[in-house]
Amino acid sequence: MSAPKERLDRLLERLVRASVLERIVISLAALLAAVLVGGVLVFVSGGFASCRAGLDLAGRTFCYNPMQVYYELFLGALGHPLEGGWSPTNYRLATTLQQTTLLIFAGLSVAVAFRAGLLNIGTQGQLVIGGLATAVTVVYAAAIVPGGFVGTIVLIPLGVLAGAVVGGLYGAIPGILKAYADANEVITTIMLNFVAVGVTSTLLSWRFQDPNSSTSKTRSVPEYAEIPTIPHVGFERMDFSLLALGFAVALILGIAWLLARTSFGYELRTSGIQPAAAAYGGVDEKRMTVASMTLSGALGGISGAFWVLMVHGSWRENVPSIGFDGIAVSVLAGNNPIGVGAAALLFGVIKSGQRSIGTATNVPPELVGILSGLIILFVAMPEFFRLLGRRYVDVGSPEPVRADGGTAGADGGADDA
Amino acid sequence: MRNALHNARERAARRPVEATIGGLVLLLAFLWLTPASWQAATLRLAVPIALAAIGGIFAEKSGVINIGIEGLLIVSAFSSIIAVHWLGDGAATMGLSNQWWGLLAGVLASVLLALVFAIVCIEFEADQIIAGLAVWLISLGLAPFASRIVFGSPNTANITRFGAVTVPVLSELPLVGHLLFDAPPQVYIMLLGAAAGWYVLSRTTFGRWVVASGENPKALDTAGVDVRKVRYAAVLLSGVFAGLGGAGFALGHLGTFAGGGDTAIGGRGFIAIATYLLANYHPIGALLGSFLFAGLNSMQNGLQTAGYAIPSELIRTIPYVTVIVVLVFVGRTRLPAAAGDHYESGED
Repeated sequence: MSAPKERLDRLLERLVRASVLERIVISLAALLAAVLVGGVLVFVSGGFASCRAGLDLAGRTFCYNPMQVYYELFLGALGHPLEGGWSPTNYRLATTLQQTTLLIFAGLSVAVAFRAGLLNIGTQGQLVIGGLATAVTVVYAAAIVPGGFVGTIVLIPLGVLAGAVVGGLYGAIPGILKAYADANEVITTIMLNFVAVGVTSTLLSWRFQDPNSSTSKTRSVPEYAEIPTIPHVGFERMDFSLLALGFAVALILGIAWLLARTSFGYELRTSGIQPAAAAYGGVDEKRMTVASMTLSGALGGISGAFWVLMVHGSWRENVPSIGFDGIAVSVLAGNNPIGVGAAALLFGVIKSGQRSIGTATNVPPELVGILSGLIILFVAMPEFFRLLGRRYVDVGSPEPVRADGGTAGADGGADDA
Repeated sequence: MRNALHNARERAARRPVEATIGGLVLLLAFLWLTPASWQAATLRLAVPIALAAIGGIFAEKSGVINIGIEGLLIVSAFSSIIAVHWLGDGAATMGLSNQWWGLLAGVLASVLLALVFAIVCIEFEADQIIAGLAVWLISLGLAPFASRIVFGSPNTANITRFGAVTVPVLSELPLVGHLLFDAPPQVYIMLLGAAAGWYVLSRTTFGRWVVASGENPKALDTAGVDVRKVRYAAVLLSGVFAGLGGAGFALGHLGTFAGGGDTAIGGRGFIAIATYLLANYHPIGALLGSFLFAGLNSMQNGLQTAGYAIPSELIRTIPYVTVIVVLVFVGRTRLPAAAGDHYESGED
C-alpha cells in the first residue's frame, strides 16, 4: 500500500509545484482582464445615464469616467494615500481590513471544499446560520457569565465555537447527501442558502428579535463580548480589530499546514485530484466528503461569527454576500490557503472601495458585483490567457512556438525553486 | 423508498404512453381538487422554470452543463422590462405591441450571454461549473447596476403585463378550458416550447447530434459532424429557451423587476436544473416537474393570503427543501457521458 501512496505523493507535489507560478500569473491576468472589461462597461453604461457634465462623443454624453472609478475603488479603499494627510489607521483602510478578515474565513471555507473536489456554494448559508448561532449563544450566555475581562475571554471563544459548530453541521448536510445519496452538492448547497435565509428569518421573528429595535436584528451582545481592539494601535473605527485579522492569518497558516502536512489533508487533496486513486490508497471517500464539507461549513460559520462579534455586535437580517465573495476569493487564489490571504485582501479592497465609489462617484456601486463575477469568469478560462500568451510570444520565427515560452519556462523555474 | 421511486421513474421513462396517462389522471385530480386561482398562478409561475429547464436539457445533453441558467433568466427578465420602458409602455412599434418587442429583447440579451458562456466553455475550455457560477454572479450584479442607471433604484418601474389571450370555443372546455385557452401568451409559449423541445430533441437529426455530442462526441466527430458547432447551437438554444422563460415571466407575471438580493427570479433557474434532473432530461417531464414546483409556490402564496399562522419565510423555503428531497430520493440521474468534458477534434 505504501508504494502507490508514495508515487501519488510525488505526483501531487509535482502538480502543486508546477501550477503555483502559473496560477499567480493567470490570476493577475484575470484581474487585469476583469478590470478592463469592467472599465468598458462603466464607460458604455455612462452613455445611458443622465448627467450635467461628461465626455461628449458622437452626440452622446458619457457620464462615467472609468479611471476615476478605479481610482476610487482601489485608492479610496486605502483612504486615498496619494492625497495629503493620510494616516495608516484611517477609516477606509480599517473597512478594507475588516472585509479582508471576513473574506479570509469565507475564502478558506470554499477553498477547503474545492481542494477535496467539492463545490461548496453554500458558504453563504453556513455563514448566515452560524452567525445567528453565535449571536444567540453569546446573548444568552452573557446572562450567566460575569462581565469584564472574564466575560471577554469566555464569551468570544464560546461565540466563535457556536458559529463553527452550527456552520459545520449545516455544511455536513450537503456532505452527507452527497456521500450517501449522491445528491449533487452544487445544487443542494445553493438550495440550502435559500433555506438558511428562511429558517433564520423565522427563528428571528419567533424568538430572538430584539424587542427594542425596529429593524430585524437580534439583541446586541454586551460590549465586552465584541472582539477587542488592541489598545494604542487603534484604527479610527471600533468595528475592526487587528486581533481578528491576526486570528484569520493564523487560521490561513493552520489550514495550509493541515492540507500540506497532515494525513487528513493528504487524503483530502488526493480525493480532490484523483478520487479513484484515493480510494485505492485506502481513503474512505464518503467519510472524507462529509468531513471536508463539515470543515468547510465550520469555516463559513466562523466568518459569520466574526461578522456578528466584530462588525455589528448583533445578527441582522440581510446578511451581506460574504459567502459568495468567498467563492471569488477562493477561485482567484487557486484554492490555495496562502493565496486566499492575498485574494481576500484584494477583495477587501474592492468591497471597501465599493463604498468609496458610492460616495465619490455617480456610478452604481453594484459594479463591484459584476467585477467579482468577471474575475471568476476569467480565472475559469486559463486557456484564454495561454492562447493570448502564445500569440504574444510568437512574434518572429516559428521556433519560439515549439519552445512554448510562457508555460514551459514557468514550470521549470517553479520546479527548480 | 429511494430505489422504489427511482425504479418507478425508470419504468415511466420506458413506457411513455402509460406514464402520460398516469400523469394526466393526476393532473385532472389536481384540477378538480384545487381552486382555479391557484391553478392559473401555477401555470404562470411554471413559465420560467419549465422553459429554463428545457433550455438546460439542450445544453447538458450536448455536453455543456449550464449552471448559469439563473443568470440567463435574470438578464432576460430585466432586459425585457427595460426594453418596454424605453420603447414606451402601452404603445406599439412597427405595428407590434411593445410588450412583444420586450420579449424579443429579453431573448436577445439571454442569447448574447449564452454566447459568451459558450465561447468561454467551448473555445477556452473553461470549467463549466465555475463559468456558470460566474454567469450567475455577473447577472446578479448587472441587473441592479443597469437598473440604478436607468431608474435610480435596483428595482425597475412597473409596466403593463401581457393580457390574457382567449381562444374561442376551446376556452369553454370544462376543467382545462379556462386554464389552457384563456391564458397570457407566455403560458402558450411554455406549452409550445415544451412540445417543440421534445420534438427537436427526439425526432430530428439535430436532436440526435445533440445527444451524441454529450454521449460520444468522438463518434459524432467521426461521422463528420462538427461537435463544437452542435454544442454552440445547443448552448445558444438554452439561451433562447431561458430568455423566453425569463422575459415571459417578467412581462406576463411580474410586470416589474426587483434587482436587490436574489432578484425577482429568486433561484428559479436552480429549481429548473433540479427539475430537469428529476425529469431525466425529458422536456415534457420537465414541464410536468415545473408544475410541481410552481404549484408549491402558488400554494404557499395562497396559504399566505389566506392568513394561515405559518411564518411566511418558512413557507417560502418549501420549494427549496423539496428540490433537495427530490435530488436525494429520485434525482440520481445518469449525466450524459461527456458532460463537463471538453472536446477537441482530432485529439488522441
